Amino acid sequence: MITQTVDWFDERLGLAKFTRKSLNKIFPDHWSFMLGEIAMYSFIVLLFTGVFLTLFFVPSSKEIIYHGAYKPLDGHKVSEAYASTLNLSFSVRAGLVMRQMHHWAANIFIAAIVVHVCRIFFTGAFRKPREINWVIGTLLLILAIVNGFLGYSLPDDLISGTGIRIAFSILLSVPVVGSYLAFFLFGGNFPGNSIIPRFYALHILIIPALIAGLLGAHLAIMWHQKHTQFKGKGKSERNVVGVAMWPAYALQAGGFFFLTAAVIAILGGLVQINPIWLYGQYIPYKVSYAVQPDWYMGWLDGALRLMPSWEITGFGHMIPTIFFPAILLPGLTFTALALWPFIEKKITKDTAEHNLLDNPRDVPWRTSVGVGVLAFYVVLFFASSTDVLANSFQLSLNFVLWGFRILLFVVPPIAAYVAYRVASETGSTAGTGRRKRANVIFRTAEGAYYTEQTAPRSPQHPEESAEELPEEVEYHSLHGNGDQELVTSAAQPGPSGPAGSPSHSGVDLGPRPSGGSGIFRIPRVRRSSTPEAGGDQIGGIGDRG
Amino acid sequence: MSTKRRRAAKLPKLKRRVFLPAAVGLAAAGISTLALLPQAGAAQSNNPSNLGNFGYTGSYIYGGTQNKAGGAISYKKLNPASIPYGKTLFLENCSTCHGALAQGTPRAPNLQGLGAATIDFWVSTGRMPLADPTVQAVQKPPRFSRSQTLAIDAYVSSLAPGGPAIPNVNLSLANLAQGESLFSTNCAACHTITGAGDALASGVFAPTLMVATATQAAEAVRTGPGNMPRFGPNTLTDQQVADIVKYVKYLQAPNDRGGIAIGHVGPVSEGFVGIIIGLGTIMLAGLWIGGRAK
Repeated sequence: MITQTVDWFDERLGLAKFTRKSLNKIFPDHWSFMLGEIAMYSFIVLLFTGVFLTLFFVPSSKEIIYHGAYKPLDGHKVSEAYASTLNLSFSVRAGLVMRQMHHWAANIFIAAIVVHVCRIFFTGAFRKPREINWVIGTLLLILAIVNGFLGYSLPDDLISGTGIRIAFSILLSVPVVGSYLAFFLFGGNFPGNSIIPRFYALHILIIPALIAGLLGAHLAIMWHQKHTQFKGKGKSERNVVGVAMWPAYALQAGGFFFLTAAVIAILGGLVQINPIWLYGQYIPYKVSYAVQPDWYMGWLDGALRLMPSWEITGFGHMIPTIFFPAILLPGLTFTALALWPFIEKKITKDTAEHNLLDNPRDVPWRTSVGVGVLAFYVVLFFASSTDVLANSFQLSLNFVLWGFRILLFVVPPIAAYVAYRVASETGSTAGTGRRKRANVIFRTAEGAYYTEQTAPRSPQHPEESAEELPEEVEYHSLHGNGDQELVTSAAQPGPSGPAGSPSHSGVDLGPRPSGGSGIFRIPRVRRSSTPEAGGDQIGGIGDRG
Repeated sequence: MSTKRRRAAKLPKLKRRVFLPAAVGLAAAGISTLALLPQAGAAQSNNPSNLGNFGYTGSYIYGGTQNKAGGAISYKKLNPASIPYGKTLFLENCSTCHGALAQGTPRAPNLQGLGAATIDFWVSTGRMPLADPTVQAVQKPPRFSRSQTLAIDAYVSSLAPGGPAIPNVNLSLANLAQGESLFSTNCAACHTITGAGDALASGVFAPTLMVATATQAAEAVRTGPGNMPRFGPNTLTDQQVADIVKYVKYLQAPNDRGGIAIGHVGPVSEGFVGIIIGLGTIMLAGLWIGGRAK
């Protein structure tokens, strides 16, 4: 019955060929390749928890009298948005844990994107042919930050309301068109009644759709171009060495999704985030001291704090101070970030395709630039908490502020220089990055000494040498009997196998009788080390056709 | 030292982690404000007549207060018999800077006519005696017992009339929701909306409200210690002060749903937890299940 159904679809859609090819796809296995996955899994958690929140959140600035479960605000005039968020936190079953998971997932989502970008940058994974994916990734980062800010603003509490106020002022600061932009987005002057519904539409519909679309393109391009890999034995620009999609990679990735979701759920359940009931309804004349945005906006807030109050007048227009840190800085940042592959190409004149990754120490100048720029933003990020730092370390706020102004220009060059030295020194040292083996000193009966290097440290990870790709095998299953032959050959490994088919001993992952027709590859090769040692993973080599 | 340790042990573990640094910081951060304190004190001592604006005319020392029966705030009657003891304590501990008659010296302001509430606030919060007069006074374990403090209050307020008396807040008559509204309007701009306190400009800071007693909070509102504005009866009624105090006491043990409250300082601590604990744990998990360099 199942076979018939599957065959019915296969005859019409040719699913078997695609599925077989996909299941056989090889993914290089390295922990740092999983950073982007963290972002994707956090995004999935965001979607699920976000859908739950939309069931109870009311995106409206309409004022009502609050008579809910939270007594300290009883009888207050609050917006429906704020009241419904209070209701989510106090009256809806599991509402607060969902809210907190959503917020933690957002923090982790963007943090994972940033770490992922760093990995891509420092290993040179953005080089040809992957420039498009780099640009898409930059867009995803921008959208994620924007959507984080919008979501943070929706509860209409005192802290986030202050953030919206700042955003309004930032828009106003754009020369010439600023007031039009701000009035266009806010539907009039601040605060107005339309900003919460508008942010809501953007936050739950438009930007998530854009993120999902771009994420799909990001993954599809990665799938098509195949993943990069680190240099190593048996790895070349032409092949992919790693584990197969099914079962090894799929199970690993699936497990990792649950691990990510578990950490988010634990944080959501055990650590309080954004207790809006303590903040109260946003009312423009009220303000709480020490208002920080969520961490991913921290560098912008830090830039706002550090910027001296310079105003430039020209052509009859005054450019307000906040234009420079709040519009110009992010504009330049994201433009430079998006264009980096092309900037680097201009510098290196390198037009070759690169599927093998650089080790950061192999390219000291790029590592140095990256570390220097990163240090600049890290200083800005910490400058966002000047007041908290001053209070915690009992320093004068002015001292901390001026300290950061100086550090902003002192730290990046030092960090870049240190990174350059470390990269070039370690890069020129033989055996860097390899596992060290112990030297054992022996004493002979005669009293002579000699040393011997021990075997590799872990028998679980033997030095691997991947085998060459087998020939492609014609595979006609539907009405022919090639399928049968292949299964037979797989079941009886030996020199008589067709096309030098590699051994499938251990796990039978060969083609199944229910498969379709077409050409497919059998890229699975056991690691060529001793069978016991390599038995825990099924891997192989794919090519980059 | 041992007192301090015992006090610390009483606080819940997490609060201790947040507020001990803040409390220790108060001692040090107070140092910075004190640079401004002599001037502030001088300003007060120069205009004792302004205190009449409070509407508290007459003597406050011996309980000559205008207690409204059933009001949310009643004013404490000090015991005149304690004045000689208070004088002894004052001469031993305070007169070096403030002068034998609290008339002020070039080092410290005139205390005459400030009222019992001012003296009581500074002494009972441990801010006086001062460790370093060049920075903002910090809260530390009080040097004097409650009865000693009241004796000092009685002595200083016996020297000259004027100023508010020590308030007793009846929290059961205060309105919490009204307090939230007044607090967010009048107090949050410096003390932050959660009352955690924060650094202001030039070494001045708004101290945490987590250790204030109801009386101290009401005293601070009425007398405006250091850089804090003074909220007189024409600005906030006694009922409103009581409402604020009730909300301050609520903030010390608020409805903290959602798990561990990481300091009530907002996204700064949340960001660090999210990145280091959240993403860090997930990355360790990735390191665990992913491949590593051979």
